[in-house]
Amino acid sequence: MKKVTKTMEPYLFMLPCFLMLFIFIFLPLIQNFINSFYDFNAFSPTRTFVGFDNFRILLRDKVIVTALTNNIRYAIISVIFQVFVGLILAAILEDNIFRKVAPFFRVVYFMPVVISISVICLLFSFIYHPQIGLLNNFLKLIGLGSLAKPWLGLSSSAPYAVIAVSQWQSIGYIMILFIVAMQKIPKELYEAAEIDGASKLRQFFSVTIPQVREMIFVTTLITITGSMLVFNEPYILTKGGGPGTSSITMAVHMYQSGFFRDRMGYASALAIIIFAITAILAVIQLQLFKSGKED
Amino acid sequence: MKRFLLIIVSIAMIVSLTACGGSTNQGNSGSSDTENKVVINFFHRWPNEPRNTYFNEIISEFEELNPHVKINVDRVLNDPYKEKIRVLIASEDLPHIFTSWSDSFAENIVSSGKVKDVNYLFEDDKEWASNIMKSQLRAFTFDNKVYGVPFTIDGKAFFYNKDIFLEHGIEVPKTFEDFIGSLEKLKNEGYETPLIEGLSDAWAISHYMGTIFQRVLDPEILDKDYNPQTGEFTHPDYITALNAFKTLTDYMGDVATAIDHETARNMFANGEVPVMYMQFAEIKMVEDIGNVSLGFFDFPPFEEGKGNPTALTGAPEGFMLGKNAPKEAEEFLKFIVSKENAYKFTKVTGQLTAVEGAVTPSSASNHSLEAYDIILKASQTVPWFDNAVNISIADAFMRGGQSMAIGEMTAEDVLKRVQEEAATLRK
Repeated sequence: MKKVTKTMEPYLFMLPCFLMLFIFIFLPLIQNFINSFYDFNAFSPTRTFVGFDNFRILLRDKVIVTALTNNIRYAIISVIFQVFVGLILAAILEDNIFRKVAPFFRVVYFMPVVISISVICLLFSFIYHPQIGLLNNFLKLIGLGSLAKPWLGLSSSAPYAVIAVSQWQSIGYIMILFIVAMQKIPKELYEAAEIDGASKLRQFFSVTIPQVREMIFVTTLITITGSMLVFNEPYILTKGGGPGTSSITMAVHMYQSGFFRDRMGYASALAIIIFAITAILAVIQLQLFKSGKED
Repeated sequence: MKRFLLIIVSIAMIVSLTACGGSTNQGNSGSSDTENKVVINFFHRWPNEPRNTYFNEIISEFEELNPHVKINVDRVLNDPYKEKIRVLIASEDLPHIFTSWSDSFAENIVSSGKVKDVNYLFEDDKEWASNIMKSQLRAFTFDNKVYGVPFTIDGKAFFYNKDIFLEHGIEVPKTFEDFIGSLEKLKNEGYETPLIEGLSDAWAISHYMGTIFQRVLDPEILDKDYNPQTGEFTHPDYITALNAFKTLTDYMGDVATAIDHETARNMFANGEVPVMYMQFAEIKMVEDIGNVSLGFFDFPPFEEGKGNPTALTGAPEGFMLGKNAPKEAEEFLKFIVSKENAYKFTKVTGQLTAVEGAVTPSSASNHSLEAYDIILKASQTVPWFDNAVNISIADAFMRGGQSMAIGEMTAEDVLKRVQEEAATLRK
């Protein structure tokens, strides 16, 4: 009897976690796969089996192309602004010269991370407002009035205006991750480099970057997977990806298919596409982690 | 002993998990909370003033009259409301009493089978029922059963600034072609945007499209196309209609797709823009902001148009009861839609109601009375476009309308997308 409990013990510990995972992650996932073969909406008490119809519509749906393009735009811009600029910001703040002011700026840059994204989007909708917006008025003030435009009302500027908001919000988070990584770099390395006559720039490229390499991998993948799931910004700022579908993302398209156009089955099919993309990214992430450890 | 404790703790965790799942169910039945109060969940779509405050006051009044009732209220504006109510219906968490648009929107909700048929309310309380306009019940009647109690009535017309029209010698246009002439003239007189609309609000586009289709196309073709089983949207008149919409958006300028309806209304009310297509429900909001001398004209008919040139776009909104609504929710519904409170509602919000005797010279402004008269005398009323057709069709037109306004799609492109949606629905 005692032996049985002994062997059972670890499983009992794992049970709550496993139950949680199963109920909240795996069960909905399986259900979503099943749903994608049905046609139904939020109102209908019955569902009709349609086989692969939803996936056939998927191939014809031109909005997916726009949505994926926007997601990729998100990914590229986020990597440039969050990872690279975040890395540079972290390096500057960690430098001895800024020792005194660094804590203040760390807080300043990190502040947007703790503000709710809905609040940020509302604030930015005032900034982008075509008439009373801060941005247009600022441009006029410095003599660049010709650049002023209805930022969220044009298909050429709306996607980028939306992406810019995420950059402003998330850069602080990535920066903090880099700061943590940099604080772990042994000071001897910098001292040795300095004795050898390396400039600050040389030290950054030859000491800092190789030492935070793994963190660069991690942050790149966080931002890329995050880009595939963007929802709040276009949903609030451009009212679901407008004008037309110009700033739509996959997540918004899925949500609207299900809850606005009443096609739950099709939305489930879209969810599978998003799942497939993020799953592939996760596999790549695992692979890269491995290569990072081998060094 | 230690091991025993660990097992106990694990079991406690599992139990607490299931307890979490169970607690939502308790919330649902809701009635036996603290002090044995009856809880009513009320969901409406007016978080904006003055209606929000009005409903909050009605709620506290009702709670004072019925101390055993507690009303939980939730409110979300227009487009998000349409989404949230769908989520609530899907999640079995339907509020006890909630607002609904008429026609296909109501029909969809009714098709879930989770809404109470309210015929009995009209039969049980003849005195209360006699105050509600019979003509407005049709919009909530499906299979000869009434599923909603109409509350507000509404219509859409061009609101114009009489002073500006007078100043530039512009007459109220008789036809659509006249109207374009007037807009052109206003533009030449220095109004950069003689017409305005917040095109980022999808529903605002659907209101335009619905009326234009009604005016331009043969009603028989519309009947066929608005029915999801037979809709094809292939008639060339749709191109004419969409191009008419595009012509109008050309007078709205670049800002239109970046602003919402409320911003556009403020521009009109401040006298910056001479014309705007608005609902009669907005009269009071315009009156409260500025001093514009307000006039209305109906959407002008097209010279080649085949639809009824004097039909009015507009539909009632009302309240529905969830299947599990307690008796008190019915009482609350009757309380809101009573003559006294409807009168108060019109007085506070300026909105017209389907309750007889609520709209009088003492509760409504002259503008509102004029609008009331237009609604009652309309030769035919046409429901809002997004309530008249399947939502995917409406969505294709609404998004297409935005894309047309910014010059990214042509009328042909939009119609092609609509035809694809229609083909999917016919199956």
